[in-house]
Amino acid sequence: MNDKPRILVVDDEPQLTRVLRTGLKSRGYDVRAAADGLAGFETFSDWHPDLVVTDLAMPNMDGLELCRRLRAVSQVPIIILSAKGEEKIKVEALDLGADDFVTKPFGIDELLARIRASLRRAKSQPGSEPEQAVLQVGDFQIDQAARNVMVRGQEVHLTPKEFDLLIYFVRHSGKVLTHHTLLAAVWGGNYVEQDQYLRVFVGNLRKKLESEDLNKRYLITEPWVGYRFNPHGTQV
Amino acid sequence: MHPVATALGTVMHPVATAPGTVMTYNDSVPANVLGNKWSGYGGAVVGSALVTAVLAPFHQQINSTTVALAFLLVVLFVALFWGSRPALLASVLGVFSLNYFFLPPLYTLSISHPQNWIALAAFFTTALAVGQLSARAKRRAEEAEAASQEIQRLYQELQSAFERASHAEALRQSEKLKSALLDAVTHDLRTPLTSIKASITTLLDEIRGRSPDDQIVALDAESRREMMEVIDEESDRLNRFISGLIELARIEAGELHLQRRWGTVEEIISTALARAENLTRAHQVILNVESELPVVRVDERAVSEVVYTLVDNAAKYSPEGTSINISARRSGDGMVTMSVADQGKGITPDLRERVFDKFFRATRDGDISTHQPSGTGMGLAIAKGIIEAHDGRIWIESANGPGTRVVFTLPIGDEEFTGEADYAAEPKQVV
Repeated sequence: MNDKPRILVVDDEPQLTRVLRTGLKSRGYDVRAAADGLAGFETFSDWHPDLVVTDLAMPNMDGLELCRRLRAVSQVPIIILSAKGEEKIKVEALDLGADDFVTKPFGIDELLARIRASLRRAKSQPGSEPEQAVLQVGDFQIDQAARNVMVRGQEVHLTPKEFDLLIYFVRHSGKVLTHHTLLAAVWGGNYVEQDQYLRVFVGNLRKKLESEDLNKRYLITEPWVGYRFNPHGTQV
Repeated sequence: MHPVATALGTVMHPVATAPGTVMTYNDSVPANVLGNKWSGYGGAVVGSALVTAVLAPFHQQINSTTVALAFLLVVLFVALFWGSRPALLASVLGVFSLNYFFLPPLYTLSISHPQNWIALAAFFTTALAVGQLSARAKRRAEEAEAASQEIQRLYQELQSAFERASHAEALRQSEKLKSALLDAVTHDLRTPLTSIKASITTLLDEIRGRSPDDQIVALDAESRREMMEVIDEESDRLNRFISGLIELARIEAGELHLQRRWGTVEEIISTALARAENLTRAHQVILNVESELPVVRVDERAVSEVVYTLVDNAAKYSPEGTSINISARRSGDGMVTMSVADQGKGITPDLRERVFDKFFRATRDGDISTHQPSGTGMGLAIAKGIIEAHDGRIWIESANGPGTRVVFTLPIGDEEFTGEADYAAEPKQVV
């Protein structure tokens, strides 16, 4: 019918869905709301939204179960609305495949920024992109075949594991990656509890990629959750 | 007599100074043990000397068997009080004294009759046996005593360990409860705040004219009004919640100061209904107040709050168009019984007590799975506090049909109420 991106908001708090519906509509999104996971999943099946924003604690079906069900049938971007104190469930939801989170209470800009980033990511990876020989994102130029990394035009020498980790970050730019996800992807399933591995390698990568006088961070720590990669660098 | 006195002097002397002096030489041996040991030998000497001194003048009148038995007694007592070594000394002293002072020829160590040799040997053997056996018995008794004391000590230690453990467990439980309550409170505070923040930032973006990604943001009048409404309503909700918290804290601290006055039940109900008018618009409110109800001596504002809470709940948890029944009647025991009944889904029997717990919400915490508007989770807890402060009772009646019926009682209160002095000054309305 129209090409407005469709967003499904799932929250049991009617006042919040009311605000989000209005706020998102005013930014050119098509919005529908559901009061719990079950209703949310039904709306998803009928309406096929481009993105889902969901609360975690809800009656009937909570956000966690909704993530699980959605991931079983779709790669739709999922943004979680979580409160402080729900860190454990939040990480669980991210491990289940949710893409990002916003902590309550949040400003609408923060949510909109996450929505835009998630929609952009979803668009840029239609299916599995063909293995590009050279990845060019932000300050990075990576020749995958030669395993050669250039940052801001300067060559950087990485160990094989550091290289694998960087490639994984680059391929998932902007997305929150939990410790669990990174360890499983780069080191394999036996290492998912070895947070200290990750910390050491992220530390080394930072030393090699980030320059102190630039005040830029590429690898952003999401406390208690994991890391987020910004190829353009975030000013600190 | 003289040698005895000398012996007493030399032997007893160390006993008197033992505690101080001995301790300096050997810290690991308690002074009283050594003292006891020396006093044991002293006891043996004194005992034997006493028997000798008392019986010697009469050695003509009493036979030597009696004397031997007296010495045996000394051995027995020394063994019981001080153990085997002093008893051995007492035995030797007994043999010597018996021989020297009592067996002819007197005041020599020789013995004229061979049978007395046998008697003396028998005495010595018996004394030895008595000394050793009774000393052993004493040691056993002491050991048993020590063992029982040790068991007692271990038991007490164990008991106090258990007490500490159960205290820690209780503390842990109460901490758990506290943090669960804190979670509930933060959730209830954060939820309206989230809606307010989202609304305000939406409005702010519009005022700035552009969003951070440079999209032009335009809200129509309708959307703008909606945002403002949300802010207004959610601020009220926050305020209600905070007022509820304060009220609840007061009730729990026992600081609910009732302003009791004489008032009519009709007035209390109509005040509550006027406040709840907006909430009950979609429902039919039926009043069933017995005529000629006595005036009641209550805090009208507080009781009206209770009625309001019950009517609010009834309206919230029953379908539109159904009726809400409010009744008041006099019950026999000097009480007025009031009730608020709705035609909603009702509350399952297992939740009927728990709904009066603070922060408990049947719609969220119970198993009622439909999505319904939720309150602060404090209304019924506060109502219960208010009613109980009036010495009334509140409960949910098991209704026959569907719906929930909350009943509470209030004492009518008579003129001889045991109120505080300041109430007495108030004008009293007499029935």
